[in-house]
Amino acid sequence: MSTLTLKLKSEPTERLDLSSLTPSALGGKTTDEIARLNLTSRAYTICVGDVFDIAGTPGDTIVFDGGSGRLDFIGANNEDGTLIVEGDVGAYAGQMMKSGRLEIRGNAGAFLASSLQEGLILVNGSAGDNIGAPRRGDRDGISGGNIVVKGDVGDLAGTRMRRGTIIAHGKIGAQAGARMMGGTIWGTHGFGQNPGVQMRRGLLIAPTMEHMLPTFLDCGFHDLGIVKIMNRYLQNTLHDLAPKLDVAKVHKYAGDMASLGKGEIFLTG
Amino acid sequence: MNVNDIEIDDTFAEAFGMSATGVVITADSPKWARQAAITMSGFGTSVIGCGAECGIDQEISTRDTPDGRPGFRVLLFGFSPDGLLTQLRNRVGQCVLTSPGSACFNGVLATEQLKLSAGPRFFGDGWQTAKKLGDRRFWRVPVMDGEFIIEDTTGVITDAVGGGNLLVIGTDRAGLLATCEAAVEAMSEMPDTIMPFPGGIVRSGSKVGSKYANAPASTNDAFCPTLRGATKSNLGPDAIAVLEIVIDGLTSKAVADSMRTGIKTITEVGPKKGVRRISAGNYGGNLGQHHYHLKDLLP
Repeated sequence: MSTLTLKLKSEPTERLDLSSLTPSALGGKTTDEIARLNLTSRAYTICVGDVFDIAGTPGDTIVFDGGSGRLDFIGANNEDGTLIVEGDVGAYAGQMMKSGRLEIRGNAGAFLASSLQEGLILVNGSAGDNIGAPRRGDRDGISGGNIVVKGDVGDLAGTRMRRGTIIAHGKIGAQAGARMMGGTIWGTHGFGQNPGVQMRRGLLIAPTMEHMLPTFLDCGFHDLGIVKIMNRYLQNTLHDLAPKLDVAKVHKYAGDMASLGKGEIFLTG
Repeated sequence: MNVNDIEIDDTFAEAFGMSATGVVITADSPKWARQAAITMSGFGTSVIGCGAECGIDQEISTRDTPDGRPGFRVLLFGFSPDGLLTQLRNRVGQCVLTSPGSACFNGVLATEQLKLSAGPRFFGDGWQTAKKLGDRRFWRVPVMDGEFIIEDTTGVITDAVGGGNLLVIGTDRAGLLATCEAAVEAMSEMPDTIMPFPGGIVRSGSKVGSKYANAPASTNDAFCPTLRGATKSNLGPDAIAVLEIVIDGLTSKAVADSMRTGIKTITEVGPKKGVRRISAGNYGGNLGQHHYHLKDLLP
């Protein structure tokens, strides 16, 4: 196991695209080659060596020593290995990640884990709007993997989500799970307004919500085996990061009846 | 060979390659998980007449089941994965889906998979939904006591073993049965094996073929004590009864370990209960791929 450390020299003066800095993309490159990689699509170049001090050896782990809200696309398309960011990240962190682990020890911007395919994304702070949602013009949101945010999550989390799990240990904003087709969004401190708008399938779990759409139907209180299975799966997969559900029964709502209507909201409060 | 005054024949059990699959059945209590498992295993003694040989292989603790409830694993042995799929669907659909509080999960880790849910899940009439967690997919089928949960697939292997056996010969029928019961109880502790016949014990051992054209098998007259004088008997003058224990296993080693445990128990319990001899059934060694020589399995 070897680690490449990229120490941020100073706050970037503009937004940078770090999608080229993944363990699989940098494998086999020399430090000089890495230093010459361009981080912008503008007419001029801003190279890795201009932004970061480089230490260590490219391998299965990259550590960004220092973060910024202007560092976009960190871990995008990552296929293997681990990325650790000691600080904040900008937009589209972990976009279309296919495997591996992205650990953000600060806050994440908008479109975190956009169209995530597999792997684990962990945010120690909070995350912005549209986490897991597809980029404008793309069709599908998350198709697999797990996202854990220890803080709050913004609006429109999990838009067009198909599989996978989003867990927020803080509160999730408005319209979570919009147009959702599968997967699970679990907010341990509740949802904002109108979760599940136009959802076809999928599952939203939280103790409370600010306002429920009238197109969700009350199915009563139930002791459901799938909750036990999810609990066990998350405990085995995420360990201490897994949410804990100790209630015997959940209050089930079915919807969105303005769409297919096979989605569910479980209220645990 | 002689162990504790019980004669061990210098022969071998001849067993066959089979396909095998399995499911873990859970329920709200051990009683109901066992009930569903027993019901599913019913009419599953011989693959020739029943389509599959079935039995409970082990109890699964709440720590190891997907939903944290008590469970039992049922193994099914058959001629081929295709044949097992039909048996699996019918048995799960009729015996597990119908059992109160039950759920049904993958019971065998293998590369090749059978579509466990393809059949039972359609009982949901369109209300069934799936939840994929990691690389496992679980179907939720609405039923009158809540939801029946069934995993999408279960593993199947084609290198399992069926037909390991012990023939136990005694001079007292009650003592012989008690000895075999003790052996089956000890052998039941061995994982990855089942003994598919009633209580694990067969009283009607068979030979291949019959004088009747439509019967593929018939009574093993060489081991029928009442025919001792009338046929080419394999029994001594004091033998009153013979019971057989048949073992199927996911691996050849599991079958051998189970037979070893059985011989050990029989030689410990049997001498005071009239057991005089242990033998094994074979077909001359030309039909089955697996040969278990009793001399290699002595305690």
